[in-house]
Amino acid sequence: MDLEQAPDEELARLARAGDESAFGEIVRRHSPRVFRTASRFFRRREQVEEAAQEVFLKAFTQLDTYEGRGSFEGWLTRITTNTCLNLLRSARRRPELTSSDLSEDEGDWLENNLAGEAAEQQPSIERAVVAADLAEKVLSTMSEDDRVVLMMMDGEEASVKEVAEATGWSESNVKVKAMRARRRMREAVEKLLGI
Amino acid sequence: MRDEHIKKLLDGAPLSSLGRAELAAVRAHAEVCEDCRRAVAAAQLSALMLKTRAQESFEPSPFFQTRVLAALRERRAAEEGWTLARLWKSAGLLVSSLAATTAALAVFTFVAPSEPAVAQEVAGTYSAESVILDDGADEQMTYDQVMTSLYGSEDEAAR
Repeated sequence: MDLEQAPDEELARLARAGDESAFGEIVRRHSPRVFRTASRFFRRREQVEEAAQEVFLKAFTQLDTYEGRGSFEGWLTRITTNTCLNLLRSARRRPELTSSDLSEDEGDWLENNLAGEAAEQQPSIERAVVAADLAEKVLSTMSEDDRVVLMMMDGEEASVKEVAEATGWSESNVKVKAMRARRRMREAVEKLLGI
Repeated sequence: MRDEHIKKLLDGAPLSSLGRAELAAVRAHAEVCEDCRRAVAAAQLSALMLKTRAQESFEPSPFFQTRVLAALRERRAAEEGWTLARLWKSAGLLVSSLAATTAALAVFTFVAPSEPAVAQEVAGTYSAESVILDDGADEQMTYDQVMTSLYGSEDEAAR
């Protein structure tokens, strides 16, 4: 059987029966998406890779719970989100952020963007890295739930429904969490700006 | 529009999803309200940071699949090893309890019989015949005591 052409459901059935190569094909096919999802939570490659490995090991042991009703990709995304949330929960959260915690570049980035000067400049990799560093610093002071809704909804423009499917939360819960997370992020940035 | 209304609008949905009318209302209010101007600036910067951060992503390395399968085999082997270890531990407990029982039986078989041997020794010293005839008591009396007890009692009888 050509595993590369086999549908996810068939691969899952074969893997459940102990076919290692079928499971290998699942890993090959879905690892880019798992990596993208894990990248919302972790910023270092080795952390993302570690989390992705844990996701696939967990998926293998939970293959019996996949009933084939929804998409395999959705089922795996949910495992990825929950695994990453659990890994983040075990990590220590950073205390409140103040402007003295910022690097010179980060301070400049905030000032330039506040003054509207950044819009006139050409986007550069360096400035993008500084912005992502800043985002990560602020997010690391917030809860894991705040991070996932902000990254998905405001960062990736995911819908409430998509966040609900990925996390297993109800849609109304997602809306409430998103509203609170935005307020916390906004207040944290206001504090950094010192305005 | 009160300050709280603008903040609710800012927090209620991503900035990029606000409609033209909503954005116009936000801008108009921010021009006259200092507090809301700060909130709008912070919300815009937050959105920009999050969008930039969301663009960061890693691609799996070519060895990732091999790494996962190796980890899977390792974990399975560890689980099997754990099962064997549990079995071995249970077997070990059974063997030690059997050894303890055997040792206890050996003690009862070879050590406990020494008590009847003492009893036999005692029984040999005090045979039924000697106890009845009370030979031991006679041996403890001197010749004079025997004579006195014999003749002294006869004299008393003659008197």
